[in-house]
Amino acid sequence: MDYPVWSSGLSGGVLMAWVAVTHVIVAHFAIGGGLVVVVTEALSVKRDDRELRELARRSSLVLILVSTVFGAISGVGIWVVAGLISPGAISALIHTYVWGWAIEWVFFILEIVAALVYYTTWDRISKGVHLMVGWLYFIAAYLSLVVINGIITFMLTPGDWLATGGFWDGFFNPTYWPSLLLRSGIAVLMAVAFMVLVAVRASAERRPGIMRYLGWWWLAGALVSYGGYRWWEASLPATVTALFRGASPLLPTLDATRAFALWSLTVGLVLGLLILVLVPRLARAMTVVVLMASAFAFFAGYERLREAVRKPFLIHSHMFSNGLLVGEIETINGTGMAAHSGWVNTGDPDPVALGERLFRAECASCHSLDGYQSIRPLLPTLADVQRVVGDDPPGSGERCFRIECASCHREVEFSDMVAALPSTEEIRADVEMVHDLNLSMITTTVLELRRMGADIAAFKPGSTFDMRELRFPVMPPFVGTDDEAEALALYLASLDHPTPVAAASGGE
Amino acid sequence: MNADLIPALDPAGLPGPPWLFHILLVFTFVLHLVFMNLTLGGTLMAFAAHLRARGRSRDANAVLASRLMGVNTYAISLAITTGVAPLLFVQVLYQQTFYAATLLLGWIWFGMLVLLLIGYYAAYLHKSFRGPWLGVSALAFLAIAMVHVAVHLVHAQPDSWSELAANPWRVLADPTYWPRLAHFLLAAVSFAALVAAWWAVRRARAGDDVELNTRIATMAWRWALSATVLQMVDGFILLAVLPKPVLLGVMQGGLATLGPLTVSIVLAIGLLVMLARAGNPVGQPGLVSGTLAALTITVGVMAITRHQVRVLYLDPMTSRFEAAITPQWGTFSLFVVILLVGLTTVFVMLRRVFTNPAEGDEAA
Repeated sequence: MDYPVWSSGLSGGVLMAWVAVTHVIVAHFAIGGGLVVVVTEALSVKRDDRELRELARRSSLVLILVSTVFGAISGVGIWVVAGLISPGAISALIHTYVWGWAIEWVFFILEIVAALVYYTTWDRISKGVHLMVGWLYFIAAYLSLVVINGIITFMLTPGDWLATGGFWDGFFNPTYWPSLLLRSGIAVLMAVAFMVLVAVRASAERRPGIMRYLGWWWLAGALVSYGGYRWWEASLPATVTALFRGASPLLPTLDATRAFALWSLTVGLVLGLLILVLVPRLARAMTVVVLMASAFAFFAGYERLREAVRKPFLIHSHMFSNGLLVGEIETINGTGMAAHSGWVNTGDPDPVALGERLFRAECASCHSLDGYQSIRPLLPTLADVQRVVGDDPPGSGERCFRIECASCHREVEFSDMVAALPSTEEIRADVEMVHDLNLSMITTTVLELRRMGADIAAFKPGSTFDMRELRFPVMPPFVGTDDEAEALALYLASLDHPTPVAAASGGE
Repeated sequence: MNADLIPALDPAGLPGPPWLFHILLVFTFVLHLVFMNLTLGGTLMAFAAHLRARGRSRDANAVLASRLMGVNTYAISLAITTGVAPLLFVQVLYQQTFYAATLLLGWIWFGMLVLLLIGYYAAYLHKSFRGPWLGVSALAFLAIAMVHVAVHLVHAQPDSWSELAANPWRVLADPTYWPRLAHFLLAAVSFAALVAAWWAVRRARAGDDVELNTRIATMAWRWALSATVLQMVDGFILLAVLPKPVLLGVMQGGLATLGPLTVSIVLAIGLLVMLARAGNPVGQPGLVSGTLAALTITVGVMAITRHQVRVLYLDPMTSRFEAAITPQWGTFSLFVVILLVGLTTVFVMLRRVFTNPAEGDEAA
């Protein structure tokens, strides 16, 4: 929270999603590819099968071009982007798990050297040594997953680490083993997803056999992925599953994401059974692309879900998505954000300008003004009030109420809201009155978010917090003094652009 | 200094004593430099040689370019792989300033990833299609060097952050920016040129296309000599434009700072003498190997000086903070064991690869 804020013009979360999802697809291909390609080569040696050997050889080229080049760069990319959007979180992960990262680096070196040697020594070294290099590649790649899986799962379910701070307590956390099983299945799926592209070029007489061979791998990967996913979901704390499961999930879009991921896997399973195992002559360029897309969609959906169910934390019950530490809430509420961060303190002393700097420090990690998770449409505006009160054409007022007001005013009916608001004539006569009304609503919300900080600070330290009890369970609290809360509210209220006001008041 | 702009220390503390991370940072950075020099210097040299060959495939320039890019198939991957460790340790030691610097440069720092992708894939495309890809790759790697120098300077100078927040491109106006960039580029070219010369000498002495390899060795040797002459000049310019407190810190640091600096200057002079003495590198293979070894040692010693200069730059800031130290000796020991096992495995694997060529049907 005390770092400068990167004004990228894009949502940090979206940027991270692009880099991370493309990286994990490629990285899991690198792992699963190691297994499937090497087993394929071993079988080709055992059966003296040239077509299988060609499949393994050509797949190893894809492995090099996609995984060691793009995978290595996008892997560094995750650090780069994480440092830009969540420096506090990546710093915490690195300071807690530096030796884990260092161990993973050793496996990474072995993996890359083995991959380069494997690809460049086909038919140049003895088959036995070539296979040994392949196995070393796979073992190193899988061990890097074994390490990184501990760090990734730690962020969602830090488990006993919250109380002890111990390396292994956080590493072998409640979702470690389910996630490892799930990712192992996904790695095989990703491998086959890329290898079927190579296999479509096999000779017509051998293609069905090769496709069937890959089909069994595919089915195994899909079933292991499904089992791993179910186990992973069952291992989540109730406060996390409440976000996307049950009769009324807190974030319904995540329920939809879950359904998307599982249906994609189902489509992939059925399609794989059909075009790879049962009727392999159907495996053509177009159909295998659909097959690949189903696997990518499942994986991307799962990754989106895994990232999003951490809300409002980056490290559950320890660090919020804006970098605020749970342990800092009371201190900052007492001294203020300006005392905590020079980037908030420095600049124009005007309250609105201070509010903007507070927005950047506390809100901008999730919310943009007008893009992804934009804040402006969420705020009450003069135009909204006019639409609700005017209700012209009839029905439009209630629609506006449902979209713009009901999420906060849950217990208020539309008719009650209209009665409580000034009439259209009163608004025309005194536009500022609505601005004041909106400011007071925003201030109330910011102060509620500030009070929520006290509730969170009162949770039992060192345990997984049950956020379901809170008014805004997927939001970090606002931290700062009362004056700073007011400054943030002033800034947010100023986002109601004056142009529609002038048009509305002057045009009618 | 606007001290308020400096973020707080990470509350997790350092998972080991600071000296351990300083050593690991410098050691792994030197490892990275070996492959980075081959990548950057090799691609720049290959591009120049490619232009000079003017499409003649048997020209010594063309063969030199092809060899350098052949090495880069491995060097680029290994430069990225070995670069991960210093990136890790710099974040442990300099979390407060490193992240702030990358945030202030924003898209420029992010752009490094895009440039890396372009540079890497362009290198592969050059191998298959020729065309403009080698130039694209060279430009991309040059731009990456510029980004890294910028990040380093911004992170080392929190005083400049207020100005940079308004305009990050102002980092280019830092008096040390261009001499520092030139220092890296010239070292990279010297290193890649000496590796190319060493390789050509070995092949010439093995009787493999002696005339061609002799020409390549002589040409690469000249590249190394020219780059080292310029490096001497640039090195003194860089020293002279360092901020006064930093320069004084180096000069008054006793054996700790003057030792590595003196050794690297003496080594650089020695390098110049060795490079100037060999009119015909193929005739003096011992001198060629010795020069390459001396340059590698110089790079290592200069990396120590570079790190000490960073420490001096940051001293006014770091002296105000004291990180908590919460050592994780158990997991550190595991890392050391795995590192040793990993490196042994790489060694054994490579030895078996080099001693087990395919025979008979296997070679088909």
